Amino acid sequence: MAHAVISEPHATPTWQGITTLKFAWWLFLASEVMFFAGLIAAYIVLRAGSPVWPIVSEVLNVPLVAGNTFILIVSSVTMVQAYAGIQAGNQSQLRNMLLATTALGIIFLGIQAFEWSALLREGETAQSSLFGATFYTLTGFHGLHVTGGVVGLVFVTLKAFRAGYTQAEHGGVELMGLYWHFVDVVWIILFTIVYLI
Amino acid sequence: MAHPPAAHRAPYMRVFVFLVVLTVLEVLLAFVLAASPAKVPMLIALAIAKATLVAMYYMHLRFESRLLRAIAVFPLILSIVLALAPSFDVLARR
Amino acid sequence: MTTHTGTATHVTHDHPAAEKSFIQKYVFSIDHKVIGKQFLFSSLFFFVFGGLLAMLIRTQLAWPWQEIPGVGQFVYGNSGNILAPEAYPALVTMHGTIMIFFFIIPILSGAFGNFLIPLMIGAKDMAFPRLNLLSYWFMVPAFFIMLAGFFVEGGTAAAGWTSYVPLSALPDMVPGSGAGQTLWIVSLTLVGTSSLMGAINYITTVVMLRAKGMHMFRLPMTIWALFITAILVLMATPVLTSALILLFLDRTVGTHFFLPSGGGQVILWQHLFWFYSHPAVYIMILPAMGMASDIISCFARKPLFGYKPMVFSIMAIAGLGFIVWGHHMFQSGMNPVLGTVFMTSTMMIALPSAIKTFNWLATLWGGQLRLTAPMLNALAFVSTFVIGGLSGVFAAATPVDIFIHDTYWIVGHIHYVLFGGSLFGVFAAVQYWFPKMFGRMMSDRWGKVHFVLTFVAFNLVFFPMFILGAYGMPRRIADYTSYNFLAPLQSLNQFMTLSAYVLALSQLVLFGNFFYSLFRGQKAADNPWQANSLEWATSSPPPEHNFHAEPVVYHGPYEYSSPEVAEDWLPQNHALDGAGLKKTPTPAAATGAAAD
Repeated sequence: MAHAVISEPHATPTWQGITTLKFAWWLFLASEVMFFAGLIAAYIVLRAGSPVWPIVSEVLNVPLVAGNTFILIVSSVTMVQAYAGIQAGNQSQLRNMLLATTALGIIFLGIQAFEWSALLREGETAQSSLFGATFYTLTGFHGLHVTGGVVGLVFVTLKAFRAGYTQAEHGGVELMGLYWHFVDVVWIILFTIVYLI
Repeated sequence: MAHPPAAHRAPYMRVFVFLVVLTVLEVLLAFVLAASPAKVPMLIALAIAKATLVAMYYMHLRFESRLLRAIAVFPLILSIVLALAPSFDVLARR
Repeated sequence: MTTHTGTATHVTHDHPAAEKSFIQKYVFSIDHKVIGKQFLFSSLFFFVFGGLLAMLIRTQLAWPWQEIPGVGQFVYGNSGNILAPEAYPALVTMHGTIMIFFFIIPILSGAFGNFLIPLMIGAKDMAFPRLNLLSYWFMVPAFFIMLAGFFVEGGTAAAGWTSYVPLSALPDMVPGSGAGQTLWIVSLTLVGTSSLMGAINYITTVVMLRAKGMHMFRLPMTIWALFITAILVLMATPVLTSALILLFLDRTVGTHFFLPSGGGQVILWQHLFWFYSHPAVYIMILPAMGMASDIISCFARKPLFGYKPMVFSIMAIAGLGFIVWGHHMFQSGMNPVLGTVFMTSTMMIALPSAIKTFNWLATLWGGQLRLTAPMLNALAFVSTFVIGGLSGVFAAATPVDIFIHDTYWIVGHIHYVLFGGSLFGVFAAVQYWFPKMFGRMMSDRWGKVHFVLTFVAFNLVFFPMFILGAYGMPRRIADYTSYNFLAPLQSLNQFMTLSAYVLALSQLVLFGNFFYSLFRGQKAADNPWQANSLEWATSSPPPEHNFHAEPVVYHGPYEYSSPEVAEDWLPQNHALDGAGLKKTPTPAAATGAAAD
């Protein structure tokens, strides 16, 4: 019996134009949605069941965080422009937009840290009230995910500066973008539920 | 392996403008509708609109296969069930 | 363990395989077959450990507070050679936790999922072999952290495998809500992470790496089941993780998510926990269902009856499985209207389960049954699963559950589906795929001895639990005899315990068979069962990259007793038109109507 050659080991398997890595990445993001769903559901249930809940606009600095929300949205735009850049083969757009995204991500975290320290100084801790517990847990886990994203962005940016991405091969940028937009989507929901409602 | 080129010019900047407008609207409504019962559904609707815009255009779901959209949507349905059922439980027992 | 049979001298890899060290080949291997075996051996260890805990539980229930000769001094030396009252909850907690998270889920998904998926779909390995390696090595610290609970002050977690708050949220409540409970939380978080990695790998592999011609509706039921199970794992496990994190924070940082004294809600834990743990029970049964379908079809020499309904039924069970979790909470104080909603959805799951049962029966009907050990165990799976499932329908009715919740009815129900169902499924699967994994045959005769002993003893132990439960015997109580109305149940409990000892000893037959055959079993052919799926189209055990040439698939895996073929089987990689057929069909095979 003739032996056929096993399919070329370096060809990335695809299905409907999606690579295995991108497909798996979306599965990972779906699981992360469920993780935040558990935390957000806990928040909603705890708040719905609480006879008293602080007036959020009096405890939290809504204008500051609204500004922070704007910053995160802008960082999503720069991220998508970075991706559009490398799709068109524009290395400098890729690099500049990645730098901008990373910087904006760091600023977001900085403002969040500032917000936290202000609250802690006012005595609002995770132990002092259910509001505090849920607030710090939700924003904390989101912040952890942003931090992970920033770390990823550093790696991707460095690789971009080493001309590691081309118009033909830039899967890593796409995956980074998907993760970063996901973090933005989670924040959109969190900001509304925790700060505005 | 080349990804399909962005032959359609995805309207990134237009989406950005929408996102900013919706965010401003949200903050204003939160302030204006402070105690009104309309506040919660309106804000949730605005948040969903923003999230959908990011998912559809920035995460490219609008142009992806149905399979990927299904992977994105399925957990959202489960999340709604997870949030609603215990909330209903706790509200009805208060 | 050989990595190839040596019959082929022609290596088709693109680069010469470098000689691997022992560590690379057997410890930190990225080969899914090795990783699958690692999961298999660790799971079997925990099966024994969890089983021994069960023996201790049964002994206490038969002879409360009596000293066990010999064993008592060894196990209960610190509490005067007898079981301490606060240790009983720890026993049931660890028995449940270990059996669920360290035995059944890892053996079905981790061992068989890993070993079989690439082989049955015709792939070289998983989509992400290194992620696969990582998924096993996240389990290893989880093992040690869980076992460490036995050595810390206060002992292991003792709040039940369900870890209900407020008991589990307050470190100073009782012995066993201390460090042991925290270790339990950390260990399960690691287990969950391992599961998630595996799920991403399995789903991607099944969707992306199928061989040419292996359309989704040509996949064996084993793969469909493992695939759907992986989706359940992906969606449900993160919710458990979030719950565990909140519980951890309550215990260590002073938050009050679940503690009413700080505004928290006790029932919130139950909602979050059961949102995961109900799909978890389907994670524990679906793979066994898939494997039973394949084994029954093979040994009945008949196509699986109703393949597509079987696939859609698994999807229905899984989908419905997400909206029934409240049936564990009927007595929690949950809103009764919500209870009725959950009762309705739960009853609905009986429908696809029944479809599957009828289809197994229809597969058997008129078949040329080969009653091998795997087949007998698969048949036991079907029969005991029916009993377990029916007992669940009783529990699903909220008014009935008022009486049977937290009684031995429930213990009987869970053990009929988990032992009767999943475990007999595991027994069948181990004996069916042992030749493929290890290149040797297990003794079918001793397999039958094990089967008879296990099946009889199992029913003697667990069927009376329905009687006990209806009578009112609660679960998780160390001494029911302290209630006068339950004291008459002691003799039945003693009978059950003696049967349990027989059940435990019977497993020695399986283990003896397993380990003896590992070294001295008869060498296995490629396809000792004359089965159709792709794993049998390569050597036993398979070579490093599974197939010498990428298989091409021509049809589904259930072409048994096809009128168009001489033999009563037709492998998936053999076409009907003669391409790759081993023997030419004789004119006698052309009787009957043209096959579809």
